Amino acid sequence: MSVPVSQMFTVASYVIRQKLAGRKRYPLVLMLEPLFRCNLACAGCGKIQYPAQILKKHLTLEQCLRAVDECGAPIVSIPGGEPLMYPEIGELVTALVARKKYVYLCTNAILLKEKMDLFSPSKFLSFSVHMDGLREEHDEAVCRDGVYDEAVDGIRAVLARGFRVTTNTTLFDGASPLRMREFFDEMMQLGVEGMMLSPGYSYSKAPDKEHFLRRSKTHQLFSDMLAHPKKHWKFNQSPLFLRFLMGKKDYECTPWGNPTYNMFGWQRPCYLLQDGYATSFKELIETTPWEQYGRKSGNEKCRDCMVHCGYEATAVDDTFGSLKAFGETVAATLTGKL
Amino acid sequence: MSLEGWTPEIGEYLTLAEVVEFAFDYRGNTTVIRTDGTELLGYLFNRNASAPRPYIQMFDEGGEGPITIPYAEIATIKFTGKDTAAGNSWKAWVERREKEKAEKAVALGSERSGRNPDPHRG
Repeated sequence: MSVPVSQMFTVASYVIRQKLAGRKRYPLVLMLEPLFRCNLACAGCGKIQYPAQILKKHLTLEQCLRAVDECGAPIVSIPGGEPLMYPEIGELVTALVARKKYVYLCTNAILLKEKMDLFSPSKFLSFSVHMDGLREEHDEAVCRDGVYDEAVDGIRAVLARGFRVTTNTTLFDGASPLRMREFFDEMMQLGVEGMMLSPGYSYSKAPDKEHFLRRSKTHQLFSDMLAHPKKHWKFNQSPLFLRFLMGKKDYECTPWGNPTYNMFGWQRPCYLLQDGYATSFKELIETTPWEQYGRKSGNEKCRDCMVHCGYEATAVDDTFGSLKAFGETVAATLTGKL
Repeated sequence: MSLEGWTPEIGEYLTLAEVVEFAFDYRGNTTVIRTDGTELLGYLFNRNASAPRPYIQMFDEGGEGPITIPYAEIATIKFTGKDTAAGNSWKAWVERREKEKAEKAVALGSERSGRNPDPHRG
């Protein structure tokens, strides 16, 4: 596993503090969406399908920082839309780094070379580049040829400047485990710090529902793909979450683990479902009917979901909730075995 | 199926609360007709049916907002804006891609036959 020690320590001490304080529901990663505008129009993405006046809007820097302070999560992920199109992205990242937040700036990397001067390398900042596989698979996933090569160019440029770079990969039905293993080799050869994986989710608004993975297929795909992992593969996520994807562990969703804030407010209940908005983080936590979400609830929308934004927080909570899980995590981190 | 262009009639078989849910799910602008006859065109992004005074929230056509309107002040909601989620499917993308590939192959074929790569065949 490739999460830096200082980040692991920050997350560990934060989770332990929450547990000691007896907080039942605490956030781990704030998903901060400053805008929905994007320079790609991927078929699997429900985030960009809004009328023009919504796509033109974005949060102010003050709104972003207020949300970060209100939430208090140690990690801030900035997806979107394409965050490099946000006019105040440099100022936002600088302010988050000053707050000692670990920032994952999720980008398709098309604008990375052009915008990298807005940032300074820091252990708190990682560019999390969207890569859905090798050239053919990635360009097909983003519905435009040439994007894979642009992303690789962008990655090389920021790595040369000393930035942290990770990749984030969403896997869809029909993904080839063999091709994915080649992809892992290629990304590690490129020099990225680590990779993040997640199965896709059938957004209620996404026009590509039939293409997303069902639960048993997810287990099969991840078992085939991650069986006998190569030593040089590094994953920037909890090994227990990867084991969950492989069907080796059974978890329940933690929808409040990755709360989402955007121009509409605090999204209920999670990053993927849109059942309404709260005006404050406190209101989100206190008034969302959490019992109506997750697999156990029987909610159809949650039935096949195994996405990181609901389950990685569960895996992290489990890590610090029992000695067995902690031992498992340490062993997997040291040996690379899943 | 898209709801684009739909003008629902609130009545015995269709409640306002149901129409609000459809509008909340709709990825395009809608026109809210108030009980006083005035109209508001915009994107309906939130609703709360369980509040003491149920309400919707919108950003208007110019992006101003949020504007809060109680259910009690709504006569109906028309689905007047383009449905931005319609017609953008993965299937459509793959079909477009395949068509482009086929067209390229045909164009390449005619170019080759125009060049007459085997002069002995006339």
